[in-house]
Amino acid sequence: MKQIKIQKILFWLLLLVMTFIYMGPFLFSLSISFNAEQDVFSWPIKLLPEEWTLNNYKEVWQGLPFGTWLKNSAIITAVQTICNVFFASLAGFAFARLEFPGKNIIFSLFMASLMIPGIILLVPKFILLNEISLINTYGGLILPGLVSVVNIFLMKQFFETVPKDLEEAALIDGCSYFRIYWQIFLPVSKPALAAVAIYTFQGAWNEFMWPVIVTTTSDMFTLPVGMSFLKNEFSVNWPLLMSGTILISLPTLVIFLVFQRYFVEGVASSGLKE
Amino acid sequence: MSKTIKSKRWQQMKTAYTFIGIPVILFTVFTFIPIIFAFVISFFDWNLLIPEKTFIGLGNYFEVFQDEVFLIAVKNTALYTVIVVPIQTILSLFLAFLMNQKLPGRTFFRTAFYIPAITSSVVTSIIFVWIYSKPGLLNYLLSMVGIDGTDWLTNPSTALFAIMALTIWSTSGYFMITFLAGLQNIPKSVYEAAAIDGASTWTQFWKITVPMVRPVTFFVVVLGLIGCFQVFDQIYVMSGGGPVNATTTMSYFVYNNSFKFFRLGYGAAAAIVLAAIIFVATWLQKKYFPSNPYQ
Amino acid sequence: MVNTFKKISLFSLFSLLISCGGFKDDEMRLSSWVSSPQETDLFEATLQEFRNLNPDIPFDFEPIPGNYSEKLQLMLGTNTAPDVFFLKGMISPSYMSFGILRDLSEDIATDPSFDSEDFYPALLEAFQKDGGQYGIPKDFSPYVLFYNKEMFREAGIDSLPSNWQELEAAATALTKDLDGDGETDQFGLVIEPVLEMIMPFVYQNGGYFQNPDGSLGITDEPFIEAVEFYHGLYRKGIATIPTDVGQGWNGDTFGRGKAAMALSGGWLLPFLKENYPDMDWGVAELPAGKQKATIAFTTAYAMPKAPNYPEDAWKLVSYLGGKEGMKKWTSQGLALPSRRSVAEENGFYEDPVFGVMMRSIEYARPFQIQFSERGFEEAVVGVQSMFFTDKSPRQSMLDIASRIEKYKLKK
Repeated sequence: MKQIKIQKILFWLLLLVMTFIYMGPFLFSLSISFNAEQDVFSWPIKLLPEEWTLNNYKEVWQGLPFGTWLKNSAIITAVQTICNVFFASLAGFAFARLEFPGKNIIFSLFMASLMIPGIILLVPKFILLNEISLINTYGGLILPGLVSVVNIFLMKQFFETVPKDLEEAALIDGCSYFRIYWQIFLPVSKPALAAVAIYTFQGAWNEFMWPVIVTTTSDMFTLPVGMSFLKNEFSVNWPLLMSGTILISLPTLVIFLVFQRYFVEGVASSGLKE
Repeated sequence: MSKTIKSKRWQQMKTAYTFIGIPVILFTVFTFIPIIFAFVISFFDWNLLIPEKTFIGLGNYFEVFQDEVFLIAVKNTALYTVIVVPIQTILSLFLAFLMNQKLPGRTFFRTAFYIPAITSSVVTSIIFVWIYSKPGLLNYLLSMVGIDGTDWLTNPSTALFAIMALTIWSTSGYFMITFLAGLQNIPKSVYEAAAIDGASTWTQFWKITVPMVRPVTFFVVVLGLIGCFQVFDQIYVMSGGGPVNATTTMSYFVYNNSFKFFRLGYGAAAAIVLAAIIFVATWLQKKYFPSNPYQ
Repeated sequence: MVNTFKKISLFSLFSLLISCGGFKDDEMRLSSWVSSPQETDLFEATLQEFRNLNPDIPFDFEPIPGNYSEKLQLMLGTNTAPDVFFLKGMISPSYMSFGILRDLSEDIATDPSFDSEDFYPALLEAFQKDGGQYGIPKDFSPYVLFYNKEMFREAGIDSLPSNWQELEAAATALTKDLDGDGETDQFGLVIEPVLEMIMPFVYQNGGYFQNPDGSLGITDEPFIEAVEFYHGLYRKGIATIPTDVGQGWNGDTFGRGKAAMALSGGWLLPFLKENYPDMDWGVAELPAGKQKATIAFTTAYAMPKAPNYPEDAWKLVSYLGGKEGMKKWTSQGLALPSRRSVAEENGFYEDPVFGVMMRSIEYARPFQIQFSERGFEEAVVGVQSMFFTDKSPRQSMLDIASRIEKYKLKK
């Protein structure tokens, strides 16, 4: 009995330490972001500011093109998420339910492209976009991420589990395939659609490498790109930098907390079916 | 009758091509053509700033293999992968195991572990620059136990390890969820039977959990490999490849040569070599660590 | 079926339309990096003067935050560069060798109001190649020695170091453990592990990064001696580097009183005034080695090879780089004029701070090398390796020499 008690204490201790390790960095950056004092490097470190202020947030919001970056990030993320959900489910439907010549070849080519590391595409994609003058435009930022193979695959897998009888009845009634897709398949696929949407959202919102390459002027930066440059400029002003990091993390955090269930289900389905 | 079937087929085909039209076009433009184009570029001395592109055959490839920095980058990437993948896999399995226990506040803990994974890598990198700096949080904690820390990111012998730790910290939550899904598929009766037989929690973990989640483990390892081989964001934000090339990884090398020194042909050649290495590594892993050993 | 097709294609078209925002260049564009708020305000005011004088020339001023040089190169390579941009003297050789800049000599020759004789020759030369003039020096700043007067008084030093030995002696006297915990709290000097800051010492010692005949000079004795002296200050513990004390750059370390001396330029003045207004500091010429030398950082207004609005762009450059525009831009001393007449009119030669910098320009050289950026990066790595590993300065230089050699710019 005693042993079990010790075990329990150890278990909780471990859990608390782990929680501290995972959450601590965010809590400290939150604390720094409210610090009125610029010098956060006094030794010993003060875990809480002596003087609290909201000025850092105000300064980030007013003194920087934060609003523009937020707008860019929002536009890119919204367009990519909507398009991914729509196109991936359409294509997934075609691959799961329709017969057409070249189906297997096209699908295997799609799947094979998953094996290609993204880095190899970086230079040629850049040159191509430059040829059609899309560098530093929304087009250049959005088009390459408009639909992803993983999402098509996920949707195909999901649609294959939908029973056939509904669809057959509709076909006999003379429904078009688009109506079957729209009125029968989409309504029953909410979990899969949510997973696609959430993962695209998260990926697009946090994407860094591509925007850092295709944007040249500050009015086209996304939030992560803007923040990474601020790190160079405000390397002296940690409170300002930290309030920026808190601000750009908020949207994902809120979305995560609201849709937590779908996040977990989404990972689960993508993890198990591949 | 045969006419209607034919027209039905015809209609199905037209619908299907309409449905997959946009994805096919996008893939042709942004994946298939670029892959072929990448090979073409890699045979040229292709500087974005100079209009003339000279064909140099395998010149870029010869140069890549003689480039000391590239060799350092390969070494760094390999080291990074070899350390990060196993630790993040084991840690996330362990976290998933903890989260699979019946305990109060499970959602809270799960959220806590998962938040680093959904946060932008730029954000976590910036936070960790502060943590790792000489008078930063890590050294403060170390000083409480009497250890005199170094400046983690400007010390060439610690910089890469510091970035590894950040990666493990931020990705383990994501893989924890993946494992958790796998764990929940294990029937409770298996554990109950083991408990009746008097197996301790640890024995249960090693004898039941680990073997049962093997397919998920495979998936996590593959994703981990791909992620590690291509690590970029943290390097870009935290160290710029320095100090003394200690954190120059292969994708950072490709980026630097392509978009800082503007030698696009050279960068493309390096990327192709990187792709070949990833390919071989995944193949080896598939061969020696199959997802289902009984197949 | 037709309906379906319409829906999908409409949707696709719609999404493509939102995603494609065309590139806007209906106006002349001017770009700079992002500098301190004081500098930005002053530059905007200078631009406003130009607008008042030329209401018929509209233009858009867009500073580029972050990695300016990388982004500028990207724009030059993709033909989206602004009509006028800031060009750092340090990288002008590679840009000139790529042939991506406009030769301004025609414009200068046909513009009678633009007196190019007035510029300090060293600054003008930084943007010349094969008889072409590829940039108009906008301003300059040499490295000078900033010192904390209070710390000097406390340490009982009443004369400024005038040579290497005195610099080392002063730094030793100024290095202190204030709270007695066995660790240094105040260093004599703050230096940075960067090549630019070593170069003044190299020049003072008669060395070169690249010898006048074009060969690499970093393994020659004068170069290595200078590096050893510089690095020795750090190893002896009388100089520190900013990251050791948790700061981003040496100006901050100096301002926070962690070091009594710092090598810096004009850009430190507004920073100190703004952040450390109470600090009592002074400026002196750099201590000399075998000869007096320092390096001058200069920036030019330059244009891409084919600007969209060449005439308007020249008018803008001619104003900004002309006497009037430069006078306005340098009036507050945030930057030093590259024209002698403007410096005299502004009274900079008599000023205790600017006078030091103006005297320095007589023997300052721009730091430029005929190597591609990759070569420069290799040099950076060499310097880092002696600060962050145990490698000796001599070995570091020997190691990188062969690697740098490969990246010499083609003539």
